[in-house]
Amino acid sequence: MSTAIDIRQIVKTFGHVTALDGLDLTVQTGQVHGFLGPNGAGKSTTIRILLGLLRADSGTARLLGRDPWADAVALHRRLAYVPGDVELWPNLTGGEAIDLFSRLRGGVAPARRDELCERFDLDPSKKGRTYSKGNRQKVALIAALASDVELLVLDEPTAGLDPLMEAVFQDCIREVKTAGRTVLLSSHILAQVEALADQISIIRQGRIVETGSLAQLRHLTRTSVEVMTDRSTTVLADLPGVHNLRSTNGYTQFEVDGEHLATVVRRLGELGVHGLTAHPPTLEQLLLRHYGDQLGHDDAKAVTR
Amino acid sequence: MSTTLERPPSRAGTESATLAGTGTLVRFMLRRDRIRFPAWAVGLPLLMAYFAVALESLAGTPEDLQGLTSFTSSPAGALFGGPGFGFDQLTLERFLVGQYGLYILVGAGLMGLLTVVRHTRAEEHTGRAELVRANVVGRHAQLTAALVLTTLMAVLATVLIALVMTSRGYDAGGSLLFGASAGAVVVAFGAIGAVTAQLSEYPRAAAGFAGALLGTAFVLRGLGDMAAVQGSGPSWLSWLSPIGWSQQTAPYTHDDWWPLALCLVFSAAVTAAGYALSARRDFGAGLIPPRPGSPRAAAWLSGPLALSFRLQRAGLIGWSLALLVGGVAYGSFTQPLLEGFQDAPEDLLAVMGGSENMLAGYLGLMGFFMALVVTIFVILAVHGLRGEETEGRAEPVLATAVGRSAWIGSYLLVSAIGAPWLLLVAGLGMGLGAAVSTGDSGLVADLVAGHLAHTPAVWLVLAIAALLYAAVPRALPAAWAVLGYGLIAGMFAPMLNLPDEVIRISPFGHIGDYPRDDISITAVLILTLLAAAGAAAAIARFRRRDLVTTA
Repeated sequence: MSTAIDIRQIVKTFGHVTALDGLDLTVQTGQVHGFLGPNGAGKSTTIRILLGLLRADSGTARLLGRDPWADAVALHRRLAYVPGDVELWPNLTGGEAIDLFSRLRGGVAPARRDELCERFDLDPSKKGRTYSKGNRQKVALIAALASDVELLVLDEPTAGLDPLMEAVFQDCIREVKTAGRTVLLSSHILAQVEALADQISIIRQGRIVETGSLAQLRHLTRTSVEVMTDRSTTVLADLPGVHNLRSTNGYTQFEVDGEHLATVVRRLGELGVHGLTAHPPTLEQLLLRHYGDQLGHDDAKAVTR
Repeated sequence: MSTTLERPPSRAGTESATLAGTGTLVRFMLRRDRIRFPAWAVGLPLLMAYFAVALESLAGTPEDLQGLTSFTSSPAGALFGGPGFGFDQLTLERFLVGQYGLYILVGAGLMGLLTVVRHTRAEEHTGRAELVRANVVGRHAQLTAALVLTTLMAVLATVLIALVMTSRGYDAGGSLLFGASAGAVVVAFGAIGAVTAQLSEYPRAAAGFAGALLGTAFVLRGLGDMAAVQGSGPSWLSWLSPIGWSQQTAPYTHDDWWPLALCLVFSAAVTAAGYALSARRDFGAGLIPPRPGSPRAAAWLSGPLALSFRLQRAGLIGWSLALLVGGVAYGSFTQPLLEGFQDAPEDLLAVMGGSENMLAGYLGLMGFFMALVVTIFVILAVHGLRGEETEGRAEPVLATAVGRSAWIGSYLLVSAIGAPWLLLVAGLGMGLGAAVSTGDSGLVADLVAGHLAHTPAVWLVLAIAALLYAAVPRALPAAWAVLGYGLIAGMFAPMLNLPDEVIRISPFGHIGDYPRDDISITAVLILTLLAAAGAAAAIARFRRRDLVTTA
């Protein structure tokens, strides 16, 4: 399997601030790669280096086998980019902006563009200044998805979208994946990454701190369970994969590793359940739990911000 | 001064509910405008003081002053000055308010409408008003507070103008009346802003519409005053204009206060209309619904050059119209000016190149002046380019197959072609105006040539601005210094007897102001080469730097 993105030991500083501190990132061709991390961790800086908009201070970056700074234009014909904060020209309509981006990239697929406008429920005849953040994001997404490129670089592409549109977006990315194209998906929505990504990299303070397939990272994702039972739940504490069990007056809270969830649920059934909520941990909780101890208290606080 | 002030906020009933929070908002607006408020309210009196000092030094004696009247009493003088009350027995202060007062009044109108739009529609458009209105703030509180703020500015400007004028030894009553005339225009156009802010969702459209009405008021009184000076024609047109009412007070001559009452009645009625309209619309919406645009891009909109043109198109159209109208207006000035300045003071004539060469001097000076105006266009264009980058619109474009050189190069190319185009339009307008005014059709070609000849100097400033932008983006405003130096060197150096070298540092000091001077082909070539080298350096530098990105 070939490599679409290969970054080694990239360092990037802005004045006294070190944005990237020896970052390594490898994305295989044909995969959806989730790029996770809190705000300010360096996701956007990494992406802008990949796009040749910023130049790395040191280290090497290869994008589709070429140098992202020197060969920017040639590479940009083969990729499409959706920024996290989409700004449009106030006096150009959304439709004009979509067409313009497609043409500037070189490839135009009018039928696909119209279909996407329909799916994302975008009115392309409105002027850029009248669009909400979500609608501006749709414009950039449609322009990117309508193009016939090898690589999609998406920087928090759905931050302003509602859950319905989030579902449409996930469908579109699955189609892209089926077509064998590569996606770098920067996000801080863990559920989105879980649903779409084959591989995940987690960035903290300019470094990749965890990378692997979803299965490999599954141990990170615990489900939080709150349950009201008639009988005592102490029996659950001994089950494999159960953590932090706390119980008072028939109300129990605990966390359970994803792979052991089925067993725990079976045992719960015997305890007379009359109330149950279960939810996966947020990214922040997850990062805190995984790195809080080794990064120290101050860093842990920074993650929750 | 407006209906809002005649309606004291009571503590009970629906009336107070719609005005709740007005006092707090006024204090908040004063805090926000702690620079802007004094800048306007002190700026206008200072401008008046500058006019007074300049006029006193240029035309210190009664004879000098009398020499100016044949021009100012002409129809053209009336169009760009006023009805000229008391010009038959001219005094310095009568000339000041009669000729320069108009521009103070126009500034006052701008101050009023911009202040109201800034604190009403602009706040709604950005969404900040939504946060404010979610608190204990009544539906009319924001508009009321904006009008109160505008009225405060008007009062301060009134007092300061009166003080400035009195301090120069002019009659106190007339000084206060002229100050109040300016204050009345502030209130009138504040009221107009309160109406136009209801019409469109966009602050620029609201300010633009109110500004167009200010322009209409200027033209109406101009036509009326011309008729009055000629002694025939529709002189009543002046009475349709808020600027006209303020001029009809004739400070230092008749000292009539009653035209200002007309202005206040008008302001009250217009303000009431603003409130009525504001009650008929939803928050954030305009009474005029936004027009949808084309859902598809035109076929030609397909590359960086086309995009650059599309982004600068609206500006180019606006500038073309303004320069054409301005050119015709100043061109048609030619004949009355020649007659009017026969006896002007020597200092003034020196700027024009001496009395024997008045025609060529005036036309040459206007070509130079228009070149400076077009230079404003090119510097603003580079500011626009920087805005594309800092506001995050360059990033997605540069992430397509558009290279750095193509992006900046095509934008600069459009601006560079825009410069001679605008000079051509201005020269054509001025040529037509001058040809009609003097009956000499040969002036059209002279003026077009004279204007176009300045192109390389404008290009050089464009290249300097581009280089600043590419190398140190935040230093771009320094480009205005080049323009400012060009203005001072070109306009005042002859008057101040400055040495030649001082003039020749300016890019505008080499080509020559045709038809007063010959066009130096050498200078044209050298400046063009310098501009090209500067642009090339700018592109090379921009290729190598990091993009300025948001967040």
